[in-house]
Amino acid sequence: MTRVDSAPGSHDPIIDIHAHPGYSLTLDGLREECRQLLREADRHGVSQVCLNAIADWSESPAPERVREGNDAVLALMSEHPDRVLGLCYVSPRHQDEALDEIDRCIGAGMVGIKLWVACKASDVLVDPIARRAAELRVPILQHAWYKVDGQLANESTPADVAVMAARHPETMIVMAHLTGCGERGLADIAPYGNALVDTSGGDPEAGVTELAVRRLGAHRVVFGTDSPIRSYGMTLGKVLGAKLSPAERALILGRNAARLLSRRAWPERSRGTGQ
Amino acid sequence: MKVDAAAYLGAWPFRNIDGTVRGLLAMMRELALDQALVSPLPAFFHTDPAAANDHLLRRLRGRTGLWAAPIINPRMADAGSGIERLARRPQVRAIRLTPGFHGYSAAEAREVVQGAAAYGLAVVIQLRMQDERSHPPTSRVPPAPLEEVIALAAGSPGTRLIAAAARLDEVTRHAESIRALPNLWLDISHLDGLECLKRASEVVGAGKLLFATCWPFFYARSASLKMQEADLPRREAEMVAGLNAADVFGLATQPSPAPSA
Repeated sequence: MTRVDSAPGSHDPIIDIHAHPGYSLTLDGLREECRQLLREADRHGVSQVCLNAIADWSESPAPERVREGNDAVLALMSEHPDRVLGLCYVSPRHQDEALDEIDRCIGAGMVGIKLWVACKASDVLVDPIARRAAELRVPILQHAWYKVDGQLANESTPADVAVMAARHPETMIVMAHLTGCGERGLADIAPYGNALVDTSGGDPEAGVTELAVRRLGAHRVVFGTDSPIRSYGMTLGKVLGAKLSPAERALILGRNAARLLSRRAWPERSRGTGQ
Repeated sequence: MKVDAAAYLGAWPFRNIDGTVRGLLAMMRELALDQALVSPLPAFFHTDPAAANDHLLRRLRGRTGLWAAPIINPRMADAGSGIERLARRPQVRAIRLTPGFHGYSAAEAREVVQGAAAYGLAVVIQLRMQDERSHPPTSRVPPAPLEEVIALAAGSPGTRLIAAAARLDEVTRHAESIRALPNLWLDISHLDGLECLKRASEVVGAGKLLFATCWPFFYARSASLKMQEADLPRREAEMVAGLNAADVFGLATQPSPAPSA
């Protein structure tokens, strides 16, 4: 396999904070898709990939589907312990189940929480989850986009993420989809130091990464691909093709994520059990 | 030999980008590209692109390795004579059509396409520039359907047509039709998704694909990394990187000196 010169001269880790195990609804299917994803990550020297399985890709999935998706991620974590990190996907519409699921998954080694389009980030339904994330010292990866052709019914805009960040200053939030959030999205979250942005989403429009660094500082921009929806090459090009200093590039590609993901505390009820 | 089938000069009104010759040459040096087909960004928004095309040609004059693909608006009554005038310029190897921006269907471009072919020019049809979800609210431009370009190619067998900026799902959906048309190619600028170039090559064949950066609209490095990660067999990689473009646009296939600064 050919290794791509994605980060010439750099020995810093590259961490993809935003990827999905695949589209399959079976573990065997996801295993195969994950192998493909890791193969492409390998080519670019991406050392670790944070997977989140957004259940059956429905907007507001049932708790059983959520649990199945997270089980698949846990299985992939155990099969690729040095490569795969897990983010626990939950739906705030099923509060008790969501909190139990967070405790279960973080207790089993996941390093963060993923929220998608079941509920807007500004909705009070998210509050208990954001508080639990702060207690466990894990980040929330929150989907967001400013869509000119219309949001989904409960899809967050960056303004919703800003409300969440203001309401929960102790919770670290990664707003997904830099290109989809754009200039307005960066302005929305700029005042909140607990809000970061990932580089995923949309095409590799030139200038967007430099803009994020100007608006937020390089310490608030993290590399994420949204793979398999996006290719590693296309998304890495947003960072490696941007006019950045080597130090800024290293922060975005891995150091920020490493710092963010190393803060985790174990849930009280499963501390030390790994279950 | 490496050819960029989609580079641009000029400004884009909704973003702080401005493609200059100096910037283009620097990008080509960085990616080790030998030649590029260049269109004027401002012409996407000009009803009559003639002035933007003339400006482009002035900027490219005497530049080794830089070829022009002026933009034509078929809704202009003098589009045909404009093509004739452009075809006399040796640096012009293609015309680029932008149906979504100028408000016509690919089918309505048939006369212009066949006119370009009569002068030996290839025709690039731009399906889109930007993710439709993120257009400026004052300028929402519908994508040109790939199936319309396929129908146009089928009905114009004497032309060389390039569908630019197709998505992987569109390519996959229409792969059989694309494979069946010897006069239709695709640029890779907007292909995305895990192993996208490898998958596109599997479904339509490497002979159909042209390397393209969409610089300065996109980070050129993205296209370069996408090309590398595909890990195509050597001959197929050479075809996508430049041999196909040389064939389609009538470019020299021998290694050329670096583009002149």
